[in-house]
This record gives sequence, C-alpha cells and structure tokens, in this order.
Amino acid sequence: MSKLVKKQIDKQQISVAWRFYVVVGLIVLVYAGLLARSAYIQIIEPDMLKKQGDMRSLRTAAHTVQRGSIVDRNGRELAISVPVETVWADPKIIMENNALAMKEHWQALADVLGRNVNKLTSRIVKNPSKRFVYVERKVSPAMAKYIKELKIPGIHLRKESKRFYPSGEISAHVVGFTNVDDKGIEGVERVYDQLLTGTDGEKQYRKDAKGRKIEILSEQASTQPKDIVLSIDQRIQAIAYKELKGAVKAFKATSGSVVVTNAHTGEILALVNSPSYNPNNRRNTAIHRFRNRAITDFYEPGSTLKPLTAITALEFGSVKADSIIDTSPGWMRLGGRRVSDPINRGKLSITDILVNSSNMGTTKLALSVPKEFLLNKFFDAGFGEETGVGLVGESSGIMHDRQRWSKFELATLSWGHGVAATPLQLARFYSTLANGGIKKPLTIIKKDTLDTIPLRDVRIFSEQSSEQVVGMLENVVNEHTPNAKVEGYRVGGKTGTAIKAFAGGYGNEYVGLFAGIAPISNPEIVVVVVINEPGGDLYHGGEVAAPVFSRVMKGALRVLNIAPDAKRVADVRPVVSEEQPTMKVKQEQADA
Amino acid sequence: MRNIGHDQQKQRSFWQRIHIDVPLLLGILALMILGLFVVYSAGGQESAIVYRQITRLGIALLVMFAVAQIPPLSYQKWAVPVFVLGLLLLIAVLLFGHIGKGAQRWLDLGFMKFQPSEIMKLIVPIMIAWYVSQYDLPAKISTITIAFILVLLPTLLIAKQPDLGTSLLIASSGVFVIFLAGASWKLIVTCIGLASAFAPVLWMFLMKPYQKQRVLTFLDPEQDPLGSGYHIIQSKIAIGSGGLHGKGWLQGTQSQLEFLPERHTDFIFAVFSEEFGFVGVAVLLSVYLIIVMRGLWIAVHAEHAFTKLLAGSITLTFFVYVFVNIGMVSGLLPVVGVPLPLVSYGGTSMVTLLAGFGMLMAISTHKRFIA
Repeated sequence: MSKLVKKQIDKQQISVAWRFYVVVGLIVLVYAGLLARSAYIQIIEPDMLKKQGDMRSLRTAAHTVQRGSIVDRNGRELAISVPVETVWADPKIIMENNALAMKEHWQALADVLGRNVNKLTSRIVKNPSKRFVYVERKVSPAMAKYIKELKIPGIHLRKESKRFYPSGEISAHVVGFTNVDDKGIEGVERVYDQLLTGTDGEKQYRKDAKGRKIEILSEQASTQPKDIVLSIDQRIQAIAYKELKGAVKAFKATSGSVVVTNAHTGEILALVNSPSYNPNNRRNTAIHRFRNRAITDFYEPGSTLKPLTAITALEFGSVKADSIIDTSPGWMRLGGRRVSDPINRGKLSITDILVNSSNMGTTKLALSVPKEFLLNKFFDAGFGEETGVGLVGESSGIMHDRQRWSKFELATLSWGHGVAATPLQLARFYSTLANGGIKKPLTIIKKDTLDTIPLRDVRIFSEQSSEQVVGMLENVVNEHTPNAKVEGYRVGGKTGTAIKAFAGGYGNEYVGLFAGIAPISNPEIVVVVVINEPGGDLYHGGEVAAPVFSRVMKGALRVLNIAPDAKRVADVRPVVSEEQPTMKVKQEQADA
Repeated sequence: MRNIGHDQQKQRSFWQRIHIDVPLLLGILALMILGLFVVYSAGGQESAIVYRQITRLGIALLVMFAVAQIPPLSYQKWAVPVFVLGLLLLIAVLLFGHIGKGAQRWLDLGFMKFQPSEIMKLIVPIMIAWYVSQYDLPAKISTITIAFILVLLPTLLIAKQPDLGTSLLIASSGVFVIFLAGASWKLIVTCIGLASAFAPVLWMFLMKPYQKQRVLTFLDPEQDPLGSGYHIIQSKIAIGSGGLHGKGWLQGTQSQLEFLPERHTDFIFAVFSEEFGFVGVAVLLSVYLIIVMRGLWIAVHAEHAFTKLLAGSITLTFFVYVFVNIGMVSGLLPVVGVPLPLVSYGGTSMVTLLAGFGMLMAISTHKRFIA
C-alpha cells in the first residue's frame, strides 16, 4: 500500500472521527434515556401499575349458602328456608329485543304478579340501559314456572330462599324474623344470624384476558350454616300461647306474657306474649305487636317478691321457719308514711304472711335484717341484671343501686314496689328458689348434656331456706289461690297485683301476676304469668293470672311426662282444708 | 481460541480466517438465547414455537456466516444494479403485491412469500455508501442532495405500502451514511428544520388514518383504553408490574394471561420486563450497547471510506431498531411495527439483520494487513 493512500485514509479518519464521538455520545445518552424510562415505570410508578395489573386479573367470587333452620328442643321446625324464585329484568336486553312489543305477554306477567302492567313496564322504560331491575322477589315455584313459560326476553328468574315460620304467631317473638335479604332482624334470627347464615366462602383467583380461571390465590371455605336448637318446647309454647291469648281477651287486658322455665337447667321452655303477630305476613302489623314483652317490658312485681323478703330473713337468721311475727295493730308508721294490711291480722307465721300477703309481716321481716343484706339479696336474685338469655332488646328492669334507702322504701321494696322486673327476671328468681337456691343464667338454646358445667351457677340461698320457702308457697296456693292448683300435682306460687306506675305516680291500671313452681316434691317447672292492664272487673293476680298459670303448668307437667306427686298431698289435703278454717278462725279472732 | 502454529506468517487467528468477529458473535448469541427463553414464556410455553425460532436463528446465523465470507469491497460492483432491482421490486409490490394484515408488503414468488422492503434495509446503505465514497470526504452539498434523493425513493415506496416502521429504518440507514460522510452542521440543522416543516404535510397528506391514530394514541393512550390505547396501556402495566426484580420467568401475569397483545413479537420487551424486572432490563440494554459499541469500533477501524460508512450505517440502524422498539413498548414513542432485534419471534427481519451483522464481520475481518 502506497504512502499516499495511507495518508488519505488518515485524513479521512480525522475528518470523520469526531462524528463518531458525537454518535457514541448520542447512543449512550439514548440508552440512558431508555434505562431511565424503564426505571421510572418499574421502580417509581410500579405500585400503580401493579395494582392495575391485579385489577385486570384478580377476581373474588363468593358463594352463598342457605340459611339454617331454627327448631325446638324436640326438633320441630320453627323457622325454615324454602326455595323460591325471584323475577328480575334486564332492561337493556328487553330494549334490544324490543320485547315491550309483546303486549299480551307483559299483561300476563302483570296479572300473575297482581300488578299494573303500565307500572311494571315503566320501570324498564325509565332505566333502559340498566342490566338489573327487580320485578318481584320471592314468588312461588308455580308462579315462577308460569313466568318462565311466558318467555319474555330479558325477564329472568333467580333462585332465592324464603323464610317460613311453621309455628306462626305462637313463637314469633322468640324466633323473630329475617328481612327480604335473609338477614335476621329480630329474635333468635337476629342473635344467631351468623351461625344461621354460616360464612360465605370466598375465593380469590386470577383470570386471564378471556376470563378463564388461571390460579386460585386464596380460598376461604364457607362455614356451613348451623341449625339452631332452641330450649323451647313447642308443645308447651303452644299451650302457653293459647291460654295467654284467651286470658288477655277474656280480661280485656292490653297485653300479657308467659314464661316457662326448667328450674334445673335454666332453659326457657316457653316464652309467649299476646298480642303477637304472624311472622309469615308482617304487612300492616302494628309495631307494638313485634315487642317481645316478656323480655322488654318491666313491671313492679308486687307481692310476687314477698317470698324473696321471707327467704332473706331466713337466710340472715333473724327469723326461723316456725317463727311467729306479730303484725298488730295491722298498720305502722315509717318516717311519716303508713304501712298497713287491710285488716289487723295479729300474730302470723311466715307462711301466714305469704298466704295472706301481709304487707305488715313482710315489712317486719325486711326490717329485721340489715339494709345492705336485704338489698344484696335483691341484687343477687337477679333484679337489675340481665338474665343471660342474650335476646336483643332485653331489659334489666329497675333496681336502684343507691346508698340512701329510707325505712319506708325498704318496706315497699320488700313487697315488690320500687323495683321493676321483666317477666323473665321474675321467672329466673323463682327458678333459683325451685333449684335449691342455685342461680343459673337463663338460656333460649337447648343445653347439651355435656354443656352443664356449672361455671356461671351461683348459690345465693341455702338449700334449706329455699326448700322452706317453696314449701310455704305450696301453702299459699292451697290456702289462698285455688285458681292456681293443678290436679294431681303439688304446686306452689305467689300472686301479685301491682298498680301501674306512670311518670310521677300511680294510675288506675293494674298488673296481675302469678309466679309458681311445680311439682313441689322435686321442683322442676317454673311458670310466670303477667296480665298487663286487665280492663274488666277482675284484675287481681289470683283472678287473672293464676288460672292461666294453672293451665299452662298442667300442660307443661303432662307434656314433660312428670309423675304426679299429689298422692300424698291428697292424703294430707283434709289437713290442709282443715287449716283454712283455723285461718279463718284466726282472722276472726284478729278481727274481733 | 487462537489457532497458533500453522499460519504464523500471516498472524491471523482462526476466527479471522473464518471471518467471524468474536465479541459481536458473543453479543448476538447472548441476545438470541435470552430471546428463546422469553419467546417460550410469551408464546404460551409451547415448545413448537421455540423450535421454529431456533430453526430461523440457525438459518439466519448461516446467512450471517455466508455473508461474512464475501469481501466487502466487492459489494460496490453490485450496488447500482441491485438497488435498481430493489426499486423495481418495490414498485412490483405496490402493483401486484400480496395483501396481509391490511398492508401490501409481500411478493408471492410461487414457492415463497418475499418482502422486498427487507432487502432494501441492506441495499440502501450499500448504495448510499458506495455513491458517497466515490467522492472526497467530507461530501459536498451536491453529492448529499443526490444521496438524499436516493434514500427518499425507496423510503416513500415502502411508506406507501404502508409500512411505516421499515421505511423509517431504511430512511435512517441512508441518513446515517450521509451524516457520517460529512454533512456539515449547517446542513443537518437545515434538514431538521425542513423535516419539521414537512411534518404537517406528512400528517395532512401522506399518513393513513390508522397511523394518525397511533400518534394520537401515543400522545394520550387513555383516550381510547379499549381500542388503540389498549396495547400501550397493557404494555406499560406489564413493564411496571415487573418492578425491580421482576416476577420471575413464566410468572408474568399480564403476558401469561394474554392481556398483552403481540407479546412474542413486537411487545416482547414488555414480557421480558415483567418477568425479569429492572435488573433484567439493565442487563439487556447493556448487551445491546456492547453490540452497538463493537459495531462502531469496527466502523472506526475500517480501512476504506465505503466500508467505514457501511459499518457505521448498519450499526446505527441496529441501534435505531432497539430504540424504536423499546421506546414504543415503554410509551416513549408512538406504536410502530418494529420487532426487538434478535429477541422477538419472527423470520424475515431476523435474516436481514444477521446478513447486516455478516457484513460488519466481513468489514472487520477482510483487511489487508499492513506490516
């Protein structure tokens, strides 16, 4: 190669070289730019883009399960779900297919649903681009079949379940009801909603651009809905409701409640109120009918609390079961207020105090123990606290927790005034008495045999005192409240008649109560009857509530197949009937 | 690797004797192997696609090897006739071409379909380099003007097909030769000015509606997220969701779940980015940079003006390839149908590309050694 050529090449190289440097520089710059762009997308912006990516591919599916049933302790269905179909419309499809032109079909649809055809179609015309409009929810299978055969484009059916309550108004307050979306809003349906519905399973999965499932990311298994077994015995419930409804009607009462419990377990065997409602058709039902008065409404329990005063005195030891208390002259003054019996009853045993429902006697018993002891026993007995049943809307009644109690206030408390309790709380106190002084929380759910560990059980009275007072209650029924008797069984109980309190005082309305226990030889069943505001001439607990008690108790004893224990009592009966004249003699003596 | 002993006089290595430039080959092979993995992932994990790609790569490598054996100076003899033939073929395409995917790009030769625009990618730089190197460098204005016309002819014919991506690449390959041949800065500035003045004309009269739409979409992809903006939005999401380390090979959701269109061809970079993250992107760009730098090194060390210009043009065109594709996929540039060189799945463009690398290797190894 010649020198000239080489020189020429050199020259060319020099003249072109700087361009290469510029090019190299530019290239490096562009690469840096690309890298920076990538870094911006991948490191600075990725959260948003990652989210976008997930939005495109992640889906969550939920599958629902049918609501569980509510059954009574013997497995009778109180609330069940039945499959029904819901009619819905896809307005967009309807408009696209010009389905509104099928006039006769729409008329048929409106007819079967009992609706105006113009109103029906106007909802679709108003929302032409919507994809979902309810037409009618929860129609019967027969109606659904008919609608299906109309074959209107854009009218679809969807499977749903409807709640049905076979026991109707009898158990309406206990069982409660669900709303149209199957969510419990009253009673057991509400309290145990989660157990009844179970939890919906949830599946998170990734789908591809064509919507195919690719991988399941997480899966939450659905928990199966559980059936709830109530402690209620539907047979007793039915008897209680029938008797209560009859009494409320007969005595022209505003309302009434009956509570039946198993004293040993704290299980509620029946809980009824009148007036009730039909849970299967709640349209036009007055709102007050929905109230479960046995747990929401509280009344002054009146004389039904006198046994509590008696057992308190026995527990403290200020009196013995056979003590005699002098109630003469039949009245006394306490801080300027007068406490009195209708007549001067003279010297009374504790039994006599209860039998005659002597205010004087009870006051003396109450004042024979220290104030704190008395009040504590009232609190212990469950007044002012919830019963443990856990139903929505339960009231704790009124039991004042204050320092200052005048003697007169203690006196009125001792015969059940100045304190207010729900029928359920009253039933709990009598259950405690019947259970030998051991207080148990009440429950609406059937107890398993395994579930009887007495964790929450508290002994509040001695067994001896409890038995003594229960025995006295038998005398009360035998001597004073024949209306409450149950043939073949030894029954104990106490009447109560309270004047209803209003804001600022007492009015003219009464509450008639009766709380009782049977059989006395082995107390098992407690029945509390409350007749609120009887409107007729009869209003005494012994007149309006005791007969209901008697019939409900009779029914419960028979249904539960409890052996009659009155055989011995039948032998003793002459003695009892002999006692009554002596009582009368006593009274006559007192009168004299 | 050197073959010592037999040919000590000539001091040539084994690789030089078979006309292979080792750094270039290593870079190309690295990208090809990487590409096979991504193609497997993007192509729905079908091994058939990979085998087909391997076959193509093999053919392309053979072509490269064959081209590398031809002394580069001999191209000059063929430059004019082949260029004229190429132009005629382009005209033939417009007249009788086979229509595919809405564009007229292929000539059906009976036994195979043939895309003349691909050949032009090589012929144009050869032609311009030959023409410019006839005269002293730096080139005069008159030379440059004629060179420009020579570039414009095939560019317009291809743009008419329409194939914006290829015409862009061909135009740039020619323009690079002119630039390297010594167009003065004044001229470059004038040209840029003319180009920007020409842009509205291009927009109004020459661009097809779908091309205009692409540009509009590029400016604001969200305006039509389900239509023309879909590609770019999905692709950005794919790249972004890769993050720093990526989701791992075969784990990309955007790509594996078929949200990403054209994922094994033009948008393969998005798949790569999603699965290998920013780290992978940095590595990939480095390999490309190495290849480009090696190409420029070959150009700088070329013996003749013609080979120097040709090597520079081939290298820079390759660089434009990479830039346009990655820029498009990452939303920096409008969507233009350009594959990611050496990585994307595809046939014809791979062969031309490697034929170009064959020329680079020829330029690098067919030297007369001056003692």
